[in-house]
Amino acid sequence: MRFFSFHLMPYPELPEDYDGPAWITIPNKLFDPAVGTKIYNRYIDELILAEDLGFDGVCVNEHHQNAYGIMPSPNLIASILARQTSRVRIAVVGNALPLYDPPTRVAEEFAMIDNISGGRLIAGLVVGGGPEYYSFSINPAHARERFAEAHDIVLKAWTEPGPFEYIGKHYKLRYVNSWPRPVQQPHPEIWIPGAGSVETVEFVAKRRYAYMGIPYFHISVFERMFKMFREACQKEGYEADPLQMGWLVPIFVAETDAEARAQYEEHFWYFVKRLLPGITISPPGYTSLRSYENMMKGMGSFMASLENWEQVVEGQYAIVGSPETVTQKLTENLERLGAGNLLGLFQLGTLPADLTRRNLEMFAAEVMPKLRAQFPDVAVSG
Amino acid sequence: MTDVATGPVTSDITEEPVTEEIVPTAVGDVKVLRGGDGPPVLWLHSAMGEAADALCADLASDFTVAAPYFPGFSGSSGIEQIEDMEDAVYHLLDLMERLEMVRPIVAGLSLGGWMSAELAVRYPDSVSGLVLANPAGLYIEGHSIGEIFGRSTAEIADEIFADFEQPLYKLMKGIGSSIERSLASGAIPFDAVRPHLEAQAAVAKLAWNPYLHNPRLRRRLNRVSVPTVVLSGTKDGLIPPAHPEAFAAEIAGARLERVDAGHMLVLERPDVIATAIRSIS
Repeated sequence: MRFFSFHLMPYPELPEDYDGPAWITIPNKLFDPAVGTKIYNRYIDELILAEDLGFDGVCVNEHHQNAYGIMPSPNLIASILARQTSRVRIAVVGNALPLYDPPTRVAEEFAMIDNISGGRLIAGLVVGGGPEYYSFSINPAHARERFAEAHDIVLKAWTEPGPFEYIGKHYKLRYVNSWPRPVQQPHPEIWIPGAGSVETVEFVAKRRYAYMGIPYFHISVFERMFKMFREACQKEGYEADPLQMGWLVPIFVAETDAEARAQYEEHFWYFVKRLLPGITISPPGYTSLRSYENMMKGMGSFMASLENWEQVVEGQYAIVGSPETVTQKLTENLERLGAGNLLGLFQLGTLPADLTRRNLEMFAAEVMPKLRAQFPDVAVSG
Repeated sequence: MTDVATGPVTSDITEEPVTEEIVPTAVGDVKVLRGGDGPPVLWLHSAMGEAADALCADLASDFTVAAPYFPGFSGSSGIEQIEDMEDAVYHLLDLMERLEMVRPIVAGLSLGGWMSAELAVRYPDSVSGLVLANPAGLYIEGHSIGEIFGRSTAEIADEIFADFEQPLYKLMKGIGSSIERSLASGAIPFDAVRPHLEAQAAVAKLAWNPYLHNPRLRRRLNRVSVPTVVLSGTKDGLIPPAHPEAFAAEIAGARLERVDAGHMLVLERPDVIATAIRSIS
């Protein structure tokens, strides 16, 4: 089992009277740079703390023009982490390929991070969220085609001798010749997040990449996704390695179950009710209608539709409680899912610095060792 | 410029039947509403993909009329082979040949008006007249076209209709504030919105960015050399009047007619469109 600390870098100080979406059109006058200076540095400290506490890796991701996660460039944060840590894997989950033009930029920046960190990068490649196609005015009808082409360009840039020419439908590049090349050969470990669309599952299985279940759904949705992934790997003629699967989930540990809920709940609801609204927007052509229909069927089990804490507990939307409770629930779910990467969100919504730090410390001291003992078959990296 | 009398006009012309046909084209089979006999008229729908039954029935008494559904709309196939307005124009040329329409009057609403103009500036000899009803296609600073993507159909309905008794207006209001919420809750079946989603994806291909315009169109409008009427619905809440006015100003000899109606002229005032077509035939 590998343990990662994932940070969304949420904006925690939306005014009480703002009840609009957190995406695309949220007025940027609501962003206070004084708050920004404080929280960027605090959040980076929280990621660095994960290395000190014995985590295997840290995760950052890319979102634009929103309050949910103020990390439009995860590569900037990852490059800081490359210098300020020395052991943890740095997972950028990921770069939204269609937003980089030309996408050789991703091959270059990821290779820089891999060089600076001495080969610790995990390269996440993503299509980008629906809202990003509004925020970037990129045609959503081309999202999948652009992703597929950009993926090929990045992989070729890392693995084939340059310079070479790439002439596709969306990108026409006469000289692809990435300097630097990545330290990890033939290329860094690749993670692809997905929400259960057959196309993505098959894409990942075929290339033996790792599949990260997109969070915020009922546990049964993850179960279905990973089952589908294992079956897709079997069709490709191999058994999925648990390290090819990652489960992303909010985690909060305190002395007792009651204390954990009392300290955590309001911060969780800020995330659900203030930061999620708008995240599911699906622009025209962004997915196949078949995938969209499936997504709509699953919306009832999406976190944004939650109304009370009992539903949170029942669906395992967040794992909250004493060290014993959290250990037990994570053990059960990891066995159920068969995932070999646990991606914990230890800071969520408005969860303040002191509680975040204590959460990470208690998890590392009282939960992680037991889980490592429980799942010894998976080698610990680092 | 002519001011058209307000209020619905009762046509005393006998209406001829029109029928739906499937026409094979280079990109795929498309559905076409056809009928009548006489000089050819091609009608192009808006991004809403609305049916033009009343207009076509009216025109069929004097013209050979064809109203195709663009690929992606109402079951017309082939959108995967169309990437932009350039491809759309070639599709129209192909379709006109297959329908044996030689130098038709080409008329269209909004997206369809834009497409008509793109055809006419590239191949001026392929058309004999133009009627552009609340046409998209231009960017005019300070007069931006409203957002059609990612908004509730109820909101859009209020911008494109002035006549709240129109069945399409009521349908759009009925979908509620969010298609996604209505689908997730099961309030509406997926099949009910599938055509709308397919149509939006087709429009995105043509009009996501640049948004509902072609930056080169305006300076090309001087290529239009045929009789042209530009119709402007004065209560259009989506495309500001500056747009039809600009088309009329750039096309030599074009006549601008203001109509006391909303964006969806083909539904609210098909009689005005038919009159405009007759005036240049």
